[in-house]
Amino acid sequence: MGKRVASRRFLPPDPRAEEPYRLTPKLALRVGLLGMLAIAVFATLFLRLWSLQILNGEQLLRAAQNNQLRDVRVQAPRGPILDRNGQKLVTNVPGLAVQVRITDLPKRRGLRLREIRALARLVQVPVSQLGNTLRRHRNDPLTPVKVKENVTPGLAFYVQERAEDFPGVQIVRSYLRYYPHRELAAHVLGYVSEISGAQLKALGKQGYRGGDTIGQTGIESRYDQYLRGAPGLAQLRVDSLGRPIGQVTTKTPPHSGNAVRLTLDVKVQKAAEDALRYGIDRAQHSGCSGCWYSNGGAIVALDPRDGSIRALASLPTYRPSLYVGRVRRSALDAAGLTPRSARSMNYPALDRAIQAAYPPGSTFKPVTALAAMQEHILQPFESLPCTGTYVKNGQTFKNWDPFVNEAMTLPTALARSCDTYFYQVGYRFYGMPADRGPRLQAWASRFGFGHTTGVDLGSESPGLLPTPDWRKKTFTKKTDPGHWQIDRLWKPGDSIQLAIGQKDLLVTPMQMARFYALIANGGKLVTPHLLEDVEQPSSNGEPGRVVPTAPPPAPEPTNIDAQALAVVREGLYEATHSALGTSAAIFGSFPVPISGKTGTAEKSIDPGDGYPRNFNQSWWCGYGPSDSPDLVVCALIENGGHGGDAAAPAALKVFEAFFGKQATQTGPIHSD
Amino acid sequence: MVDHYVSNARAAARARRREAGDVASFVRRLDWLLIGAVGGVVGYGLWAIEGITRHDIAGDQSYYLTRQIVFVLVGSVGLLAAMLVDPEFYRTRWRLIFGGTASVIALVLLTGPIRGSKRWLDLGFFRFQPSEFGKVLFVLALAGFLAERSRRLSEVRTTLTAVGLASIPIFLVFLQPDFGSALVYCAAIAAVLFVAGTPWSHIGVLTAGALGIAVLVLGVLPGIGMPLLKKYQEDRLTGFLHPDSDPGGTTYNITQSKNAIGSGQFHGRGVDNATQTTLNFLPEHHTDFVFASLAEERGFVGTAFLLMLYLLVVWRGLRIVALARDSFSAIVAGGLVFALLFQVFVNVGMTMGIAPITGIPLPFVSVGGSSMIANLFAVGLLLSIQVRSRRR
Repeated sequence: MGKRVASRRFLPPDPRAEEPYRLTPKLALRVGLLGMLAIAVFATLFLRLWSLQILNGEQLLRAAQNNQLRDVRVQAPRGPILDRNGQKLVTNVPGLAVQVRITDLPKRRGLRLREIRALARLVQVPVSQLGNTLRRHRNDPLTPVKVKENVTPGLAFYVQERAEDFPGVQIVRSYLRYYPHRELAAHVLGYVSEISGAQLKALGKQGYRGGDTIGQTGIESRYDQYLRGAPGLAQLRVDSLGRPIGQVTTKTPPHSGNAVRLTLDVKVQKAAEDALRYGIDRAQHSGCSGCWYSNGGAIVALDPRDGSIRALASLPTYRPSLYVGRVRRSALDAAGLTPRSARSMNYPALDRAIQAAYPPGSTFKPVTALAAMQEHILQPFESLPCTGTYVKNGQTFKNWDPFVNEAMTLPTALARSCDTYFYQVGYRFYGMPADRGPRLQAWASRFGFGHTTGVDLGSESPGLLPTPDWRKKTFTKKTDPGHWQIDRLWKPGDSIQLAIGQKDLLVTPMQMARFYALIANGGKLVTPHLLEDVEQPSSNGEPGRVVPTAPPPAPEPTNIDAQALAVVREGLYEATHSALGTSAAIFGSFPVPISGKTGTAEKSIDPGDGYPRNFNQSWWCGYGPSDSPDLVVCALIENGGHGGDAAAPAALKVFEAFFGKQATQTGPIHSD
Repeated sequence: MVDHYVSNARAAARARRREAGDVASFVRRLDWLLIGAVGGVVGYGLWAIEGITRHDIAGDQSYYLTRQIVFVLVGSVGLLAAMLVDPEFYRTRWRLIFGGTASVIALVLLTGPIRGSKRWLDLGFFRFQPSEFGKVLFVLALAGFLAERSRRLSEVRTTLTAVGLASIPIFLVFLQPDFGSALVYCAAIAAVLFVAGTPWSHIGVLTAGALGIAVLVLGVLPGIGMPLLKKYQEDRLTGFLHPDSDPGGTTYNITQSKNAIGSGQFHGRGVDNATQTTLNFLPEHHTDFVFASLAEERGFVGTAFLLMLYLLVVWRGLRIVALARDSFSAIVAGGLVFALLFQVFVNVGMTMGIAPITGIPLPFVSVGGSSMIANLFAVGLLLSIQVRSRRR
């Protein structure tokens, strides 16, 4: 019975269980040890938890936050470039750009490649090119790489919608340079593009970062510090796969770049570029020997009083807009902007006004005249024979006009550009005592030749002012093994030809304009410059203001005798007004009195057929009004023939635009 | 007849009353503090999982929570069943349990790998991880073996046989590879031997042997070019010793885990601000690294509360070891409680950088059916032992 009842109990103990069992001291000890171990374990965990969450919580919270925040540089709109009257030469148009953040691309190669391929298809950039772009930035993985600029809002929206499929890809605002006047003043303005590795290395300390745009040439490069503005900082939240989440929040707003106002005058600049085209066209149709090959030139127009440049033209030119957005190599190629194609397009990137040096020819004669008078080897009204040829030491030097045979004073010799007159002056320089050094060159150097003018515009050619020392240094056994013993000597012919601006002498149009400004302003050497001022735009209620900048160097007095200068000015006036003046036919009828000198300089050029021969470089430099000059114009037409044929008519166009007056008639040209 | 019938009816009624009384006393005798503590951990874990996985599956905020609740329900049934079965049932069948467990684990090795390891048996509706159940069954089997030889415990042969038996499933899970479970098995065999009363000398030798093997596997063998472990396993095991060596690679997990825990600070960042979790910087945040996520979202307050609940469970568990009716029950209770303690320590310690990274889930909290059901079953076993213990 008992057994039955027991069996009906709820879950009776199994009869096989080995009872009774007592808690032995041995087991009690072991359970106690386990308990102590448990307490030790939990104590350890608590202490560690306390250390992490309470003691180091702040620091680890920051680490966690940094995990998901990506700093994004917000591009500042680049400042505009204005002409002196506030007309816009370069502005911005806002656009959208696609950037790739390399660190946030998928880690697995296959996924990464797939994403890059999809992105390339989307932005229509060849996959290989996109891959190369990314590879180039591999060493700087934290800076986003711009893979496409100026995408449509639709594409931007598409990418943002599919952020899931495009980890590491982001859309940012960007600003693109816009050139309302197309290629006008292209060489002055320059272009911008993404900062290169070398530039980054050099400028990293000044706050430039990879991916920034930076001025590469011209004003854009020279005044980049004012134009670039200060980029802002924004933050973007991403998840662990680098996919953006939510909106970009701005931490510091970007500051727009300052406006750079130039001394340039759009009206004069336009006239100068048109004048160049006109001059080249005239040369090509003049039928003069070699003028068919006329294909380039430069015009410099500046205020002789302070050196403010009013126009700076160089042909051939290019459209800076070719460098905007994604630069297509084929487009650059077609425009002659790559080393491969530059030659066939006659080097359009070259700013001939400051980077190219030419023999000046007769436009150099006033230098010789002033130097000779200062050295007292020529009296202003001393009569010297002007003949068809000049023979010295058995060597014959020709006059450009072989039929002339009369005595001339200096003003007349300048007006009619008598070469033989100046040959004699040159020989007088050769005869000066050697211990006084080459005096003509010393004066030429004082007038700014042989060194750069200091114009605020990138690299400049110093030209070449030949001296006996230069000959000695240049012609050595190594460089000229055949004739070095003769070539290294300064011979009478060197002095004679230098007097009329020929042989080794090379000048830039800018140097020449600067020298004519010196004649025009009474003997002061100005520093040509383009910067009028820098203006900070008004923002957030703050009024705009002029940013202080270093003023251009003050005109430097050269201490030329006023009478000597007056004689030269008289000669230059006669050149444009007397019956036989070399450009009287061009400027004689212009209502504003203009003074100036033609030049026809021989330069050995290979026109592309493999036979280098002498081509005439057409020069005209001068100023007006003659008695108190407001503007100096120096025009050069490459291979343009005689100065009066191409350069003088081009220069007239500039004066016409500047003074707003037209020349009534032009007569027959009698010029060198 | 009538009288007999009446007396029979009375006896039946008496028996029914007694039976009802028995059920009531059974329920009364249950350790309600332990049940409360386990219920607390499970409930708290569900609440934590709700927050941690809210942003994991787009469009289904409670995907993991729902699954986990189903696991808890299934596990509760297991708990009840285990509670009702007398431990003696297992003691007499330890050979069957051992053989069955070992063969199921071996069976896993024959199936295809999932995520690089062969741990799961796919039953279609449920992905079953035998090694989790093995943690419990393995303790039962070894306890049965040792209880059988309770009078010959001081013999070296007994200890060696026990270790030999244990090494079979340890080796099998190691092959999967499931290094974490292998470690838990080692801890469990150690606890089982310890509670069974194995002499200190044997325990000392075994400890020295285990240390020797650890040094050999982690230090010597890779040094002479014969690595036993895969490189990533080795890196995980030793990564916590030099945490800053490679924050992007090997120690990425641990760095992110520490960031998550620390960023919770005292009060936690809440569900929506817990960027480490919601933005997926913290990998496996609903399974192995669930503690770090909890720490990020609920702060020191939340984690301390969870640890206190665990401590409570462990305390009540150790009490059961002391109260156990027979040596088999005591050994089982000891092994289960120590395995639990070990898992909590290694998992939590791993997230805080004081223990090696092994794929050990946090008991009762990590999302995972096998682990949850096995652990609740283990609690049922403890209760079954407790309710049948000696009266005080």
